[in-house]
Amino acid sequence: MFMSEGIFDEISEAIQSFEEEKVLNAVKKALSLGVDPSEIIEKGIAKGLRVVGDKYERGELFLMHLVAAAEPAQKAVKELLEPEIKKKAGERKSLGKVVIGTVQGDIHDIGKNIVASMLFAAGFDVIDLGKDVPAEEFAKKAKELNANIVGASALLSTTLPVQKEIVEALKAMGIRDKVKVIFGGAPCTPEWVEEIGGDGYAENAIEAIKVAKRLIGVKD
Amino acid sequence: MIQRGFKGLWRILSDDEARSMHIAALEILEKTGMFSESEKIIKVFKDAGAKIEGKKIKIPQNLVQEALVKAPKTVIIYGRNPKNSILLEGSRVYFGLGGTPTPYIRDVETGEFRRPGKKDVEECTRLGDALPNLKFIMTIAGAFDVPYEVEYIHEFDALFNNTSKPIVFATPGEDAAKRVLEMASVIVGGMSELSKKPILGVYCETASPLQFTTPNENIIVLAKAKVPIVLGPMPMTGSTAPVTVAGCALIGTCENLAAITLAQLVNPGAPVIYAGWGTAMDPITSRCAYGAPEFALGTDAINASMAHYYGLPCYGFGGCSDSKAPDAQAGAEVMMNGLIAGLSGVNLIHDCGYLAGGSVGSMEMAVICNEIAGMVYRIVKGVSVDDESLAVDVIHEVGPGGHFLSHKHTLAHVKDEIYIPWLFDRKSEVTWVKAGKKDISVIARERVKKILKEHEPEPLPKDVKEKLSEIVKKAEKELVKTR
Repeated sequence: MFMSEGIFDEISEAIQSFEEEKVLNAVKKALSLGVDPSEIIEKGIAKGLRVVGDKYERGELFLMHLVAAAEPAQKAVKELLEPEIKKKAGERKSLGKVVIGTVQGDIHDIGKNIVASMLFAAGFDVIDLGKDVPAEEFAKKAKELNANIVGASALLSTTLPVQKEIVEALKAMGIRDKVKVIFGGAPCTPEWVEEIGGDGYAENAIEAIKVAKRLIGVKD
Repeated sequence: MIQRGFKGLWRILSDDEARSMHIAALEILEKTGMFSESEKIIKVFKDAGAKIEGKKIKIPQNLVQEALVKAPKTVIIYGRNPKNSILLEGSRVYFGLGGTPTPYIRDVETGEFRRPGKKDVEECTRLGDALPNLKFIMTIAGAFDVPYEVEYIHEFDALFNNTSKPIVFATPGEDAAKRVLEMASVIVGGMSELSKKPILGVYCETASPLQFTTPNENIIVLAKAKVPIVLGPMPMTGSTAPVTVAGCALIGTCENLAAITLAQLVNPGAPVIYAGWGTAMDPITSRCAYGAPEFALGTDAINASMAHYYGLPCYGFGGCSDSKAPDAQAGAEVMMNGLIAGLSGVNLIHDCGYLAGGSVGSMEMAVICNEIAGMVYRIVKGVSVDDESLAVDVIHEVGPGGHFLSHKHTLAHVKDEIYIPWLFDRKSEVTWVKAGKKDISVIARERVKKILKEHEPEPLPKDVKEKLSEIVKKAEKELVKTR
């Protein structure tokens, strides 16, 4: 037990070093010691990300650091830990399923990618539909996967109206009351989200995690 | 370790233009000369071979030229804490709090103007001590609740006790200068130590046009002690100088060269900080207009050009405004003065927190000036263009549609390359509304209160503090007339 406590700190510190190789090596080391992959995520990776997130909120670290911490974390989970969990016929503990994408007509996906990796790192199961995604596609996937949240971003004032179509598509599919819908992007405002009948708005990735958790009733 | 400021490299005057200004000043000093109400100052020039006509000193060109050679090209004003010391040379820039005492202070609680007292001087000094971009300390208040004969002694007492940064302040006259030097020597451990490592510079203002005053006798005392003399003639366009900016700055240049010559005649190698200012009179209000574009040209751009021509450190303006409140006018005027001073390479950029053309001190404005100073330092620092900053390989690696957010290159440079506001609000409109729609002056006021509540300057040792009090008491006993 003492050994594994040490390894959790090592992983958490590797995340805070923003160096992918360190993160992957620390996770490999933990697996070779026989530490449970779900514990590696919860006690090592998620802890490191929380520290970085807190420093970001205090203004000590920047958006760049958030992303630089989240990306290696995501890689470690997807490439090293999820396969191990599947081997044991288990599933990664998830806060909920999020179907996310950039709306049709828009290829500005960097912000959406950041939100996706932050949500993933925070413990959500994230299904990223990519960019230039038609409204119906969001609805179809949400129904198929039984998603808890649908998230869509738009960077242009000309593509913003597509967010409204997503709400319509969810209604047409008959699942509007089963999912929460969150929107973001530069021209998006809380008033707009209210107007089109969405459930949540966030102006940055950290805020997005909080909103997502709040909407599905998970404590922050 | 001392602080080495960024270098502002813009020059408004060509070398030919600077030489024209220099030759014109030599001609005026030799032909028309300076009036002096001080016999002591006249005697120094007389002994050196100047032509004296009544109370007029006609200064031969060679005396001025020799003085310019003798004056040191590098001056350090030390902090009581050595890490706050500032190197004045070439075009390194530093902003500083305030100037000479202001008749009013804008009360931080009520926003009303009131007569300041010693407690205000103490609080302003403590505020300046906490503001990271203000590297030297003057004042934005005055000790007007003590007998006027000892006002400056009390103000120095407040300054010495409340900051460990370099101090620049005034001590008009010979007697006051001696008393202040005694105070400073108590802090550093003796007069010879003070000459080696001066923890203050002393402001000396000639009377425009072309006059030495009796208070200017402090130049003699300071030169002997080798404590930096910070000059500051204030001729105004169209009243105490020609209306042209160059003509006005020429008067300032003459007075300044005369004062430098005086200092070097008294003690060759005495440190002087150049200030060949031309200020601006507003033709309608007749007030000295600190926010006028001509003010920035005369006191900063031309002044710095001439100082660099002579190779001497210089003193100018950067934090002052004619506005009566920390508002949009104040922000615009301060940024104009500050940016021109910074780009021109003015070493000591003073007056941060001055409103109403120097009549009102404002702590909120000082806090806003701290931010403006940070922005100016960033611009003066400039951009480097080399393989590391162009990052060609990084761009190849990331490619179209990728992002640079988490790249090693970004993490390695973001903190040095990107200026992070210390006060100004860059958050979204949504967040701003949620936080109560606060104007920057409101945020600045909150910051002032927070700093005054939390910041404690490094205290003086108890025995030093007591000795300073004794010097103050002695001055009161000897100087204050019974009323």
